[in-house]
Amino acid sequence: MARNNAYQTEEVTSTRRVIAASSVGTLIEWYDFYIFGSLAKIISEQFFPKDNPTAALLATLATFAAGFVVRPFGALFFGRLGDLIGRKYTFLVTLVIMGGSTFAIGLVPGYKTIGFLAPAIVFLLRLLQGLALGGEYGGAATYVAEHSPVGQRGFWTSFIQTTATFGLFLSLGVILIVRQTLGVETFSDWGWRVPFILSALLVGVSIYIRMKMSESPMFAKMKKEGKTSTNPLAESFKQKDNLKMVLIALLGATAGQGVVWYTGQFYALSFLQNTCNIDFVQSNLIISIALLFGTPFFVLFGWLSDKIGRKYIMMAGMLIAVLAYGPLYNSMYDNANLKNKIELVEKTTVETKEAVKGTDNITTTVTKKTFTDGTTYKETKKLTVPLDEVKKAGLAAAGKLKPEIKKEETLSNYLYWKMIGFVFIQVIFVTMVYGPIAAFLVEIFPTRIRYTSMSLPYHIGNGVFGGLVPLIATRLVEASKEPGYSNPLTNMINGVTGHIGTPSGQVDPLAGLMYPILIASVSFVIGMLYISNKTNNMDVE
Amino acid sequence: MSTIMSAIKKLAGILWSLMGIGIVPLVIMQAMKEIAAKPSEENWIFWSIVIVVLMPIISFSLITFGVFALKGEYDVIQ
Repeated sequence: MARNNAYQTEEVTSTRRVIAASSVGTLIEWYDFYIFGSLAKIISEQFFPKDNPTAALLATLATFAAGFVVRPFGALFFGRLGDLIGRKYTFLVTLVIMGGSTFAIGLVPGYKTIGFLAPAIVFLLRLLQGLALGGEYGGAATYVAEHSPVGQRGFWTSFIQTTATFGLFLSLGVILIVRQTLGVETFSDWGWRVPFILSALLVGVSIYIRMKMSESPMFAKMKKEGKTSTNPLAESFKQKDNLKMVLIALLGATAGQGVVWYTGQFYALSFLQNTCNIDFVQSNLIISIALLFGTPFFVLFGWLSDKIGRKYIMMAGMLIAVLAYGPLYNSMYDNANLKNKIELVEKTTVETKEAVKGTDNITTTVTKKTFTDGTTYKETKKLTVPLDEVKKAGLAAAGKLKPEIKKEETLSNYLYWKMIGFVFIQVIFVTMVYGPIAAFLVEIFPTRIRYTSMSLPYHIGNGVFGGLVPLIATRLVEASKEPGYSNPLTNMINGVTGHIGTPSGQVDPLAGLMYPILIASVSFVIGMLYISNKTNNMDVE
Repeated sequence: MSTIMSAIKKLAGILWSLMGIGIVPLVIMQAMKEIAAKPSEENWIFWSIVIVVLMPIISFSLITFGVFALKGEYDVIQ
């Protein structure tokens, strides 16, 4: 009995070590991937000047290509490698590539120094980052699952699921610390390179840890017996029995999971900043706090999926998200809508300043308002008019003499926490669909082709279906400003909730939700009809 | 019960295939309409991403999945 207990304790300790080593590496890969996004504005100024159309196009491609197109290719390339030579060495390679390219971005001279070569190099390095990320996740999830005791795969793999969120935190934390330490000016000048260069140190530590890890026991056994696949790509996608599982994983699970994840974690931020006009710092804090409170639920739902099955938790997450998005986003919009608030007119201030900068005259008008509920609002209008009368007349004739308007709303403490609550609910949906998904994917494919087969649907679901949420949703919101616009989804939600619709010509705050709701609905129906809820009894072999 | 479920899965297979086929002309027509109305670089990039990346994935996967479902490949799920 005592020997048995000792064996179990040793097994748990060993599994914990595997989780820790795998998670640290995956977390660092997410950190590397996110710092590019978090520093997009500075990177764009340094490498992709707007006045050069080719460089601007490269900037767009760098953002989209690495996230959407390259990740699935990385999944195929490294997945194949992982099924041929082993999990350990493959996700060591992805770590080196990710760390190396991140470090190199920090060293590339700017556009002003080496011209067009700068955006071209950064673009290539960003593609390498996307490739590495495509190979990392499948490897880590497979490796952890193959070490996990039967009946606990959901619980142990859920730690890998938390790394994307922690990677985002780490990237924001490092950027904020470096910015505070060096000052905004130095940071914009060269300090932004530090988070990239720092990656070398983090990756170095992670490589050291991973080098000490042993190969997955299942893969090692299979290799010893000579049962590994000789052509994992053909076996995964040309054999009907595997291809049909790849399709079910994509359409019934990862596509819906991807849109729910990106809506709760990224579109919510874009909605707060662009539609609700919440101030930059406050909107980021709202998301960060909601994520922080929500992150333990990844593990909770992973654990629960071992008890009641993966399918019902993931499907419940998708269904509740589909039903709740409309009312939730209406509430978020109402919470920030200035039309619902009473202005303290006596506290309103308007300040106007004029200055000449180069050949332009710049008029800046700052209006500050305070409301009875404690909300404050700042509107900055900046009108740039050329001193040259001919130029001025030309711009006026073309209708281009319009002020740049920046709106910043700061919510009162009560409304701020209410907003955190609305985002937190969305994070719970994320944890329901994302917590059990690694275990689900691992269990539907056999060991010999698992890395390849599970990586592709994961990265198409998250990179393509999920990654396009901010782009498509923002586009739909913009389209809602057009005269004659009508959105059946918004009409239905407003009809059910009794919410007053948006007048024509104004932005429809719910328009952007059409895409995630549609994809998650289709995924839910397919998942409910075709996915099995069997889990614990499933043999990973 | 399982016979009814099997029939529903097969019938739904027709729906998935039709969705996969129908999405192609719908997206292309919408893209042409919007680009013709406003031929900006932003419009071109957006529709290129949708047509080159998103649409083929949705279309191919729905059609193939639908055909498998119609053939009864998902009647018994392992």
